[in-house]
Amino acid sequence: MYIIRLSLPVLFIVASLIYAIMIFQLQPAMLGEPNAPRYFPLIICTGILIFSIVDLINMRKENIRQNEDLEMLSRKSTLKVVGIVLGFCLVYTLIFEHLGFLISTILFLGALLFYLNGLKHWILNLSVTIITAFTTWYTFSFLLEISLP
Amino acid sequence: MWKPVLISLPILLLVACNSSASSEGTEFPTERMELIAPASPGGGWDMTARSVHRAMTSDDIITQDFNVENMPGGGGEVGWQYLQRQDAHSTSVNSSLLLTNNLLGQSDLSYEDFTPIVMLLTEWIAWATATNADVQDADELITQLQDDPESLIFGLSPALGSGYHLSMSQIAMLSGVEPRDLQVLVYDSGGEAMNALLGGHIDILVNSMSVLSSQYEAGEIDIHAVTSPERLEMFPDVPTWQELGVDIEFPHWRGVMGPPDMSEEEIAQYDEWFGEMAESEQWQRDLESNMFFDFYMDSAETKDFLEEQNELFNDIIESVGLMP
Amino acid sequence: MDFSIIIDGLYTALQPINLMWLVIGAILGTIVGILPGLGPATGIAVLIPLTFGMEPISALILMAAIYYGALFGGSRSSILINTPGDGSSIAATFDGYPMTKKGQAGQAMSIAAIASLIGGVMAIFGFIFLAIPLAQFALNFGPAEYVMLFIFALSAVVALSMGNIAKGFLTMFIGLGISTIGVDLQSGVHRFTLDVPHLTDGIDFIVIIIGIYALGEVLYNMFNINKAKKPDQNIGSKWFTKEQWKKSLAPILRSGPIGFFLGILPGSGGTISSLLAYSTQKQIAKNKEEYGKGAVEGLVAPESANSSAAVGSMIPMLTMAIPGSGATAVMLGALIMIGIQPGPLLFENSPDLVWTLINSMFIGNIILVIINIAMVGMLVKVLHTPPKVLYPLVLVLSFLGAYTLGYSTVDFYILILAGVLGLLLRVLNYPVVPLILALIVGNDMEQNFMRATVIYDGPVSILFASPITIGLALLTILSLSYPLIIKLLGRRKKKDHPMTM
Repeated sequence: MYIIRLSLPVLFIVASLIYAIMIFQLQPAMLGEPNAPRYFPLIICTGILIFSIVDLINMRKENIRQNEDLEMLSRKSTLKVVGIVLGFCLVYTLIFEHLGFLISTILFLGALLFYLNGLKHWILNLSVTIITAFTTWYTFSFLLEISLP
Repeated sequence: MWKPVLISLPILLLVACNSSASSEGTEFPTERMELIAPASPGGGWDMTARSVHRAMTSDDIITQDFNVENMPGGGGEVGWQYLQRQDAHSTSVNSSLLLTNNLLGQSDLSYEDFTPIVMLLTEWIAWATATNADVQDADELITQLQDDPESLIFGLSPALGSGYHLSMSQIAMLSGVEPRDLQVLVYDSGGEAMNALLGGHIDILVNSMSVLSSQYEAGEIDIHAVTSPERLEMFPDVPTWQELGVDIEFPHWRGVMGPPDMSEEEIAQYDEWFGEMAESEQWQRDLESNMFFDFYMDSAETKDFLEEQNELFNDIIESVGLMP
Repeated sequence: MDFSIIIDGLYTALQPINLMWLVIGAILGTIVGILPGLGPATGIAVLIPLTFGMEPISALILMAAIYYGALFGGSRSSILINTPGDGSSIAATFDGYPMTKKGQAGQAMSIAAIASLIGGVMAIFGFIFLAIPLAQFALNFGPAEYVMLFIFALSAVVALSMGNIAKGFLTMFIGLGISTIGVDLQSGVHRFTLDVPHLTDGIDFIVIIIGIYALGEVLYNMFNINKAKKPDQNIGSKWFTKEQWKKSLAPILRSGPIGFFLGILPGSGGTISSLLAYSTQKQIAKNKEEYGKGAVEGLVAPESANSSAAVGSMIPMLTMAIPGSGATAVMLGALIMIGIQPGPLLFENSPDLVWTLINSMFIGNIILVIINIAMVGMLVKVLHTPPKVLYPLVLVLSFLGAYTLGYSTVDFYILILAGVLGLLLRVLNYPVVPLILALIVGNDMEQNFMRATVIYDGPVSILFASPITIGLALLTILSLSYPLIIKLLGRRKKKDHPMTM
């Protein structure tokens, strides 16, 4: 639980440090004040750093045991479901351009439905998957003339 | 209810086979064609692509299925990288950014990576000031800049290194003003820059006549000098820079190019299409309503022109000090 | 004013062919508004080829109807499943979604539609009487004024996260940080793009919105997806109650003008106006603790404002040929192609066109209310869909929406990252809205700040550049200190109200 609570401020502190390094690696401007592209990011970087630290300090006052959502998320079973759904999303991203919209969407939606809704409702799962994939594909490619891979 | 469908199915299949069979062989367009506008809907590239599409399809010059695709990103980079991987059924709108992106070191793609197909139209670039700023003419502006280059604020769009920026730098150089000393504010679009001019936040707007015309007709702004070789028919009162003794001719052109390695036949086919389109009434009308100017060149002329322009831009970028 | 021309306009607007286009535009607008990622710009762009064969006035009516129709539609998915499709419908999630959870989805949607109608009608009156002077006034907004406006908008939104101010500032800075990705216009330097060409234009804020809200919402609902079979939710009546109406009227009337004026300013009018309308409404309300928990005032205020902003944003497009948003830019291009030249002379040269448009906007708003209320019955069925089926579908639509924005799977990775971030922000009680608003205005704010440094000597002279900047600075101070004052005064009451947004 504490790890999850700590994740964001720590992540933000790390992000601000990486950001700072990138700011110093920026090319100088070709015209005008050479450092101009760095000013605004530097202010932001400082802002993130300061407020992340303030947030870390404020955390001691927080009673995280009262946070039901956090407790829920910290359970192994929840983390597993969230992780698997995110895994499906990632796979979808990887196959989208190679297999095309239609096939990858059928696989993605099918996998999600079978995983979440269970094998028992296979008729429903299959029909929802196929109908959705084809109607969205048709709507976007033909009615909206947006080309999908 | 199903019967007619079942019966018609084989017929449809036959027809489909037939049509694909007949178009095989030497005929070039065998599938859906696309014209890429490497920007979001609404901008100059998009308008050019849609005008081409309209002229090509409304006069039945191209009978094949033909679409405009928007592929925004990276000043054309995203759409052009995509084009590089396609065959001759895909083409894309281009402009001087194709050359400058590469010269400024912002892209590895060069004009030599594509097949030039046609040069379509150009816009001419002018300097404008607000009417209430009470500027007499371009000479006055140049004199003031010669005295103090930082005394006037220029506004332009959509990026440093764009045609607007290069042309104003060249003008400054030719009049003995150091271009690097000029104060330049960059805006996302010509509209935003116009807003700033009317609100008095910038002094000089450098943009194309199409952006300037409606406020000019309403008497809100003065247009001082234009980069065309001769006075424009639509704006007989606007002198050219050449008349004012600044030897510059600077078109802000747009054309169409195809993927690398197109065959002679394919190029010839496009030449035929665009040649016919350039003469069509629809196209001429669109040019006029958008305040674009005809700049037609066929594929061979386009190729030479691009080389010429690339050299010119290279020189300007070098002397302005924008070279990476 | 010559009244016969108004009547003529009404007559033209009521011609069957124009009415037909109006209805088609309204329906299409509602649909693109509901779908995540698709917005009025896409809707209009798709129809451009169709408009070539049309009378110019019909084309104008159609395009305008899509535009304001999308804003009616935008709040639907915010209210029903907490997933706004773009910036201007974010504010509808604050109280709209809690109303759904309380079983008032039907009421929320119908009163939101009415709020949009009234906001729109107010803006049309504004259009008639104030179009040209206001467009002139808006020109006074230069770099310094914009910087101050954005600072004010950000501070008003950060102030919403009362009791949590540090977290509000933190997420605001994160949003600003994301907005610096891409080419810096003033210098041409590529910043933080990791050499991905897709990132040179920056990250599309709509992808982040879809990620944080839609994906975050789906992931959040995975927590107990296997346990609680959602008890059949009570959808509630389709019609709002008299009491709700009474509470709503004042916020609607107050927010309309805010939205209208912010809409006229080129920029992100829709989002800023709905968020500012919400924060203003909340700051002056007596029952603050109800906000965020389904207060009807908190829903109608932003709805009225963004519908009003849509009408407002057509003013600079038509009177100055200056588009203030993606959708109006597409409209401007399409209008020029069909032979209408917007600009200062449009009102003089073709008043008939303008008056027909105005009349059609009146009728269109009424048609939209009818469509939207008629659709309430159909839309609430979404809530009957078992969550195990609904959420996978939301995921697919989110990915599809993200794809149509940039035609690249780079956006998918951003979407997934934003989804995880959204989940964590939500679970750990970080306010999301400062992040989103900062992301939307961040780039403009920086660019205007850099422009202002060229024009003015230093930060202090930017602050005192004009009466507008001074006024905005005062408002900023007020909005930041107001929560503190309230807190000091209300010490007796119980201290913390955890804010969820």
